[in-house]
Amino acid sequence: MMSSELLANYLPIVVFLGIATGLAVVMVLASLIVAKQKPDAEKVSPYECGFEPFDDARSKFDVRFYLVSILFIIFDLEVAFLFPWSITLGSTGVYGFWSMMIFLGVLTIGFIYEWRKGALDWE
Amino acid sequence: MIEAVFFYVFATVLVLSAIGVITARNPVHSVLFLILAFFNAAGLFVMLGAEFIAMIMVIVYVGAVAVLFLFVVMMLDINFAELRKGMMKHAPVGALVGFALLAEFTWMFKSWSPSSAALNGVAQPIPDQAAISNTHALGEILYTQYVYLFQISGLILLVAMVGAITLTLRRRPDSRRQSVAGQISRRPEDVLKVEKITSGTGVF
Amino acid sequence: MQIGMAHFLVLSAILFTLGVFGIFLNRRNVIIILMSIELILLSVTINLVTFSSYLHDLTGQVFSMFILTVAAAEAAIGLAVLVSFFRNKSSIAVEDISSLKG
Repeated sequence: MMSSELLANYLPIVVFLGIATGLAVVMVLASLIVAKQKPDAEKVSPYECGFEPFDDARSKFDVRFYLVSILFIIFDLEVAFLFPWSITLGSTGVYGFWSMMIFLGVLTIGFIYEWRKGALDWE
Repeated sequence: MIEAVFFYVFATVLVLSAIGVITARNPVHSVLFLILAFFNAAGLFVMLGAEFIAMIMVIVYVGAVAVLFLFVVMMLDINFAELRKGMMKHAPVGALVGFALLAEFTWMFKSWSPSSAALNGVAQPIPDQAAISNTHALGEILYTQYVYLFQISGLILLVAMVGAITLTLRRRPDSRRQSVAGQISRRPEDVLKVEKITSGTGVF
Repeated sequence: MQIGMAHFLVLSAILFTLGVFGIFLNRRNVIIILMSIELILLSVTINLVTFSSYLHDLTGQVFSMFILTVAAAEAAIGLAVLVSFFRNKSSIAVEDISSLKG
């Protein structure tokens, strides 16, 4: 377990979360109490200039969004590995530097592959 | 005391959101419950002193993995009500297996304590957190002591990237793409011709 | 009241069980099964970090970092297979996948 003195550093985050939760609850409750509630099936039905909608409002996403978000995950992890590396570079020295360079090189190969394949092109 | 309160709050929300993940009617709600579960797990990791893991949890999991799940749920229009048919058929067996598993785990953990040999054979002792931060301590060993595992995880990421591209990327033959190089290398001399036309005559 | 190792271990056991139960419950829906696997990997991570913290050994945290990396790669590949499968069959029901064999 972390010592209590160090955990106290996280107090602002707890306060922030408490205020955020409280605010959200207050907003929802206030709109429930103050607003006039007259539910009607027609109010929530899909509406399109007076005629019945042709198809579902939730259309399919393009696969390209998925590919971009895969790239995002991979490089997000890469950046996560860079954080400890950057603050300890002074003590891990040349060895640590080159071990990270190999790691980055491997991922750059993947990036070049993705680029050449045209996965990033938006046609 | 205050730690116990926080532990129980995080643990309760974590378990409830995990139940939400597996029982939610709408898979979008499942993904949102998964995000809540990751947040609470991050809170527990901070309590355990693993601040860097907690940060990765929030940045990579909430920021990227959950978004990926959300994309896929939105990308495929699936009749989820149809998939839920027969859901209760296997619930009793699942519940039985689950309870047996949980009972065994709880029984084991209640009566278990680490042996003194395990306490003496610590491979990488955690330095004092007030002096050396968690991220710093991880960085000291991650790139030197565990360099092979580090490189393997890089290769796994490469395989994931290449695999995802080969599986999902498909060229559409009918799509018209912009050829930037062709546009730029096009010269006026190649495509334009100036004709002198005397009045009264045509070009052709 | 002191929060000990057993508290965290039982919590991770509950999470693991819920993940296994989720696979039983949503036997037909591959997306929920993948999310259940994420829950199982989360419980494994909690387990490793707990041992790391109470035995004062940093190795557990290093390994949980690698588990997180592998879990992210697993989610990416699993969802890519799912997207590819949905394109061919217009369905993500698990029993339809059996037609791929042979």
